[in-house]
Order: sequence, then structure tokens, then C-alpha cells
Amino acid sequence: MGPGQDAKTAQTAGLEGSVARLLRLGTYVAVAFIASGVILMLASGRSPLDVAPSFDPSRLVDDLIALQPSGYLWLGLLVVLATPAARVAVSVVGFVRAGDRRMATVAVLVLLVIALGILLGTAGA
Amino acid sequence: MSIAVLMLAGGVAAGIFGSLLGLGGGLLIVPLLTFGFDLPLREAIGVSLVCVIVTSGASAAVFLERRVANLRLGMVLELFTAVGALLGGLLAFLVDERVLAGLFAALLVYVAVSLLRPRSSALPAAGDETGGSRKPGRASFVDQLSGPDYRIHRLGPGLAGSIVAGIASALLGIGGGLVKVPVLHLVMGVPLRVATATSNLMIGITASTSAWIYLIRGGIDPYATGPTAVGVFVGATIGSRIAHRIDLRALRVLFTVVLLYTALQMVRRAAGVQ
Repeated sequence: MGPGQDAKTAQTAGLEGSVARLLRLGTYVAVAFIASGVILMLASGRSPLDVAPSFDPSRLVDDLIALQPSGYLWLGLLVVLATPAARVAVSVVGFVRAGDRRMATVAVLVLLVIALGILLGTAGA
Repeated sequence: MSIAVLMLAGGVAAGIFGSLLGLGGGLLIVPLLTFGFDLPLREAIGVSLVCVIVTSGASAAVFLERRVANLRLGMVLELFTAVGALLGGLLAFLVDERVLAGLFAALLVYVAVSLLRPRSSALPAAGDETGGSRKPGRASFVDQLSGPDYRIHRLGPGLAGSIVAGIASALLGIGGGLVKVPVLHLVMGVPLRVATATSNLMIGITASTSAWIYLIRGGIDPYATGPTAVGVFVGATIGSRIAHRIDLRALRVLFTVVLLYTALQMVRRAAGVQ
């Protein structure tokens, strides 16, 4: 390993710390929202086997204000699903700062694959 | 009320045993929800995908802080697990649930058998030792992905294995560690500890790529997911703290029986016998 490689390794160490903090924060925030939804679900006597309202982004804020369990559950689920993508987005910034264009490109491609999934999922829904 | 509490408790149990046996949650959550709570198989798979992302998040953070997980290698392989998960996620809504049940039964038998195999610490590492002739252009990228005390081999087969892991994850609601760890360790020559940690880090991207498709297509039920996900998260946390105090040999034998019995039930479902 040359001196350039050492510098890159040092940069990655900082990135690993940021990514770890983000993963932990995302997980705890998501679990907190989902747990709130479960408590509201129990309090309102709903069963996990009841038919749940389908996901509707336009209703999310209203449901949260109205303390609807589904609002908190959907928000928690969105945080769960968005956290890995956020980690990759943070990595893109980290790799660009480290001057590692190749890894930054790989990370951008990962985000594009997720976006393509959402697009194709919506198209076939 | 009681069903929610039962589901929560079931999630806790799946989380504890999954973590103790190193199985990840998906393998236990899907049968729990289909046979315990009569959820349709595809819906159980959607719930399971969410659960594996939640449980992997906190442990991946720990692996990164301890500098065990290889972030760069994980990112490159993730691109390919994500492509596999994209294909698998779309495929999951095209195939009959009975096909999924058949695949899940095969997975359960494979894991049940592998639980009984003795854990060998001297698994054959891939390829030769560091050194030899290298092509400068390609080798530099491989160098970047290698760790301080190991060098990766066979990037091509590793990438192909990652696509398979992604498809399996999306179709069956598992993290895919069952495929990723052997690919990293046996094919690419990554030390087992690093392979496990890097595979764990990759679960988030692998499972969330297909979970978005499940969510958009109505395959994730928030009411069933809520108690299960919270339970699994709590259970996995407990499991990781008590693992060193428990004799896992008896547990492995017990779970081999449980998994084989569950596989039989899945076969019945695949054959249309309810």
C-alpha cells in the first residue's frame, strides 16, 4: 500500500463512523415510530389481522396528527426502507471527498438500482 | 389485543433464536406468520423483509465501528445484490405462492442440514496467498477492496453469487446471509469474521430494494409488520447479549427438528394440501 492508499483508508475510517451513526439513528427512529404505532393499535383495539389502510403519502400527515396507528406504522416503515439508501447517499459524499471517484460511481449506481425498483414497482402496481 | 401480543412475543422469540443460531430472522419469521397467524405467504415475506432490515441496522453499525465490516467491498457487492433483489422483487409478484412455498421448503431443509454439520474453523480459503503476477489496472481496484490483512480473489464469481443472494432474499424474505457469507468467505477468500460483518452490512440495501417493490404493490401490511418488527428487534438485542452464556449444541439439534417439520408443512402448502 502506498501513501495514497493510507490516506484513503484514513478517509474511509471517518466515513465508517458517519455511516454507523446514521444506521443506528435510522434504526432507533424507525423502531420508535413503529412501536408508537403498535401502542396506538393496541389502545384502539385493532388486531394485526385487521385490514390495514393502504399506503397513501397524501394522507400521512393527517393520520399522524389524528394519532392514527397506520400513520405511525407507515412512517416507521418508510424510515426503515429509507435508512439503507441514506447510508449509500452519505457514502457517495464521503467517497467524493476522498477523491475516490470509482467508489462514488458504484454508490450512485446502487441508488439508481433502488430508484429503478421503485419506478418499476409503481409501474406494475 | 391478544393477537398483537402473541405476534410481538413470536417476534421476540424469532429474534432471540435467529440471533443465537446466526440464522437472521427471516427464516423463522415467515413460517411463524404463515403457520402461526395464517398470513398469506407473500405478505409474510414482505413483513420479514422489513424485520431483517431493522435487525441488521443496529448490528451493522457495531461491526462498522469495530472496523470489522469492509465498507468498500460491501458497496461493490451490494450493487449486484440490489440488481438481484430488483429482479426477485418483480418476480415475486409473478409466480404462484405455491412456488414460493416450495422454494422456502428447500431453503429450510438446506439450513436444517447445515445446522448439524460441525463448524470447521479451517475452511479452505480461496486462491493463493498474496502476491503472484497481477495486471496493474484491475489489481489496483482489487487492492482497494481488499482488507489490511487479506486480499480478495475471484471478484467475478463473487459478483455473480451476489446476484443470486439478492434474488433469494427478495423471493423468500431473508437477509441472504446464507448465500453471501459462503460467497465472501469460500469464493472470495475474505476471513469469516469480516465476511459475516460485511454480509450483515449488505442486508439493508439487499432487502430494502425489494421491500420498496413489496410496499408499493401492497405486499407489506403495517398492522402485521408493527408488532412483529418491534418483537424481532427486541429479541435480536436480547439474543446478542446472551449468546455467550448458552450451550448452542442442544439448540442446534432442536432447531434442526423444528426446521425440518416446518419444511414439511411448506411442502404440503406447495402441493396444495392445507
